[in-house]
Amino acid sequence: MTGARRADRRAALLFLAPALAMLAVVSVYPAVWVFWLSLQYRIPIFDVARFAGLDHYLFLATDPRFLNAARVTLTFTAISVALELALGLMAALLLRGQTAGRQVALSLLLVPWALPSVVTAKLFEWLYHPSAGLVNFLLGGQSHNWLGDPRLALPAVILADVWRTLPFVALLCYARLLGISPEIYEAAQVDGAGPLGTFRRITLPLLRPVLLIALLFRTLDALRAFDLMFVLTGGGPANTTETLTVYAYRSLFQTLQLGLGSAIGITVFVLVMLVAWGYLAALRREAR
Amino acid sequence: MPSTWIALALGCLLVATGCSDRADGRGPITLVFKHAKILGPSDPVPGLLREFEASHPGVKVVAEALTWSSDEQHQFYAVNLEGGNAGIDVLMLDVIWVPEFARAGWLLDLTPFVSPAELAPHFPAAAEVAVLDGRVWALPWFMNVGLLYYRKDLLDKHGLAPASTYAELLRQVALIRSAEGDPHLDGFLWQGKQYEGMVVNALEGFWANGARVLANDGAIFPEPERAEEVLAFMREVIASGVSPAWVTAADEELTRRAFQDGRAIFLRNWPYAMDLFGQPDSPVRGKVGIASLPRHAHGTRGAGSTGGAHLGVYRHTRHPEAAAALVRFLAGEAAQRAMAAGAALTPSRMDLYRDPDLVRDHPSFPAIYALALAGRPRPVTPYYLMISTMLQPEFSAVLVGIKTPRAALLEARQHIEHLLRTVR
Repeated sequence: MTGARRADRRAALLFLAPALAMLAVVSVYPAVWVFWLSLQYRIPIFDVARFAGLDHYLFLATDPRFLNAARVTLTFTAISVALELALGLMAALLLRGQTAGRQVALSLLLVPWALPSVVTAKLFEWLYHPSAGLVNFLLGGQSHNWLGDPRLALPAVILADVWRTLPFVALLCYARLLGISPEIYEAAQVDGAGPLGTFRRITLPLLRPVLLIALLFRTLDALRAFDLMFVLTGGGPANTTETLTVYAYRSLFQTLQLGLGSAIGITVFVLVMLVAWGYLAALRREAR
Repeated sequence: MPSTWIALALGCLLVATGCSDRADGRGPITLVFKHAKILGPSDPVPGLLREFEASHPGVKVVAEALTWSSDEQHQFYAVNLEGGNAGIDVLMLDVIWVPEFARAGWLLDLTPFVSPAELAPHFPAAAEVAVLDGRVWALPWFMNVGLLYYRKDLLDKHGLAPASTYAELLRQVALIRSAEGDPHLDGFLWQGKQYEGMVVNALEGFWANGARVLANDGAIFPEPERAEEVLAFMREVIASGVSPAWVTAADEELTRRAFQDGRAIFLRNWPYAMDLFGQPDSPVRGKVGIASLPRHAHGTRGAGSTGGAHLGVYRHTRHPEAAAALVRFLAGEAAQRAMAAGAALTPSRMDLYRDPDLVRDHPSFPAIYALALAGRPRPVTPYYLMISTMLQPEFSAVLVGIKTPRAALLEARQHIEHLLRTVR
C-alpha cells in the first residue's frame, strides 16, 4: 500500500466515523443489551433477576412451542417470498406490456404497499369473514373458516402478506425492465428468439440482481413477520400461525419474561443475520 | 453518544421542574391520567376532570389516551412503568392486571388514603381484585360481567324460558332451528379465538361445572375430569354445528355483530352489547333478553366472569396525595353516575343499579346487577396473565379439534408448572 492510499483510507475512516458511531449507539448497543438480557432470568413481577447462563437457549432447544414457531416462520417465509417474487415479476411484465392506462395501473398497484399493515390485517379480517366475507362469496358462497381452521389459517395469512408486499417486488422489477434497452429485444427478434426464449435468456438474466435484492429484503422482512398474524389470528388457532416474533412478543410484553423473550429475539436476530450474510455473499459474486 | 446526552439533559430538566414544584409547595401541580378511550354516546371524562380541578385548586389534570387494544395497553405499561420513565400519575388498569402490577411494584399502596369501608359499595368481585396481601392497590372504576343474550322473540314464540343448563340450551337450539327452518340461524355464539377472551369463556365453563384452574393451595386443575368435560363440550358444540365453525376465530365484536344481524339464538358477551342491540337501526331491537350463563351437569350454578377496569396510582408519582384524591373522586358515586349516563359502561358501585334515572335510561340495569353480583373474578394472582397465555394455545387446539381435552390440560399444566418452578 502506498502512502497516499493509506492517507486516503485514514480519511475515509474519519468520514465514516460519525456514521459508525451512530450505528454503534442505535443498533449495536441495543443488540448487545438484548443478548445480555437473554442470559438472565429477569421477570420483574416476581422480583426475579439472576444469571441464567445458557438456560433459556437450552430450554428453547426442546420447547415444542419454540420449534413450532420456527417451523411456522420458515414455512411462512419460504412460501410467501416465493409467491411474491413470482407474482411481482409477472405484474411487472404485464405492466410493461400495457400501453394504455399505465399510470393508473401503477397507482393502483401501490395501494396495498401504502396501507399500514395493521389496516391491511383489519381489511383481510373482513375479507375472510366466514359468512359475510368477500373471499367466501367469490368462491361461490362457501363457508370456509379461514382464520379459525388450523389448515387454512397460515395460507390465509400468507395470502394477505403476498397482497401487501407484491407491489414492492413488482415496482423494483418494473424499474429494472424500463432500463433494459429495446435494441436488445430487437436484436433477439432478428435472431429469431421466441417470447419464452427472450424471457429466459434476456429478461431474466438482466433482472437477476434486482430479483436478488428483492429476495433479500422480502426474506428479512418475512422472517420477522409479526403484525399481520398478530392482528389476524393472534397466532392461533392452536399456534398454527405463531411466528418466532409473535412468541417473543408474548414472552416479553405479555408474560414479562424478559430473559426468555430476549433469547427468542436473539435467535431471530441470528437467523436474519445468517440469511442476510448468505444473500450478500451471493450478491457480491453476482457483481463480479 | 448524542442520544444519551439528550436523554440526560431532558432528565435534568424533569428533575429541575420537579424540584421547583416541591420548593414552593403551593405551585400548580399537573397530574397525568392514562386511560383507554371511553366508548359510548358521550365521553364524560373531560367534564369530570374539570370538576375535580375546580374542587382541588392548584391541581391540573391532563388526560392521555392509551391505544385501543388491551394487549397494547399492557405493553405500554410494562415498558414504561418497568423502565421507571413513566410520566404517569394515575392509570386505568384492566382488572386482571391489578395483582400483577401491585406485585411488580408499579402501583402505590393506597391503603393510607382509602378507608376500609370505601371498597364496600363496589361489587365484591371487583373489590376482591383491588386487594393483595391485605393492602389496597386500586379502586374499581367500572364493571363487566359475562352473560347470556337470547332472542326473546324466538324463545317466546316456542314457549321457552332461557336455558339454565347447557343440555337444555342444546335442546332449545335444536327445537328452534328445526321449527324456523332457517339455515342461516346459528345456535350459540361465543368467543373462541386464541386470546384472553377465549380463556374467559373456558373459565366460565369450568365454573359452571365445578372445575377450577387454580386451587387455593396452588394446585393446577384440581378437578381435571370436570375441566375435560367442559373442553369436550366446547369442541362438541362446534363439531355438531350448534356453534358455527368460525367461533374458533371470533372475538366479542365479531359475535356481537352476527347476533345483532339476527343470525343467532344465543350469545355469550359482556353488558356493552345491550345498548347496541337497542339502537334504532338494530335488526334485533326489542327482541333480546339477558340471563345468567347456564350451568353444566356437575355445577351448582352458572356464573359470568367479571371484568372491567380499576384505577391505580403509579408508585413513583411526585404527587401521591393529589393522585389518590383523583382516584377516589373518579371511583366515587357522582363520577360513576356520570360515566354510566354518558358512556356505554356499567358502574362498579352497586347502588347505581337502583338509581331511578339510570334505570330509566338503561332498563337492563337491574338484571345486570344480579348477574354481576353472582359473577366471579378470574383467578386473582399476579401470575394470571402468564397462566392465561399458556392456556390459550392449548385450549385453541381443542376447539379446532387437533388435540384431545386430556392432552391439552396435561400440556398446559406442564407449561404452568415449569414456569412457576423457574420463577420461584
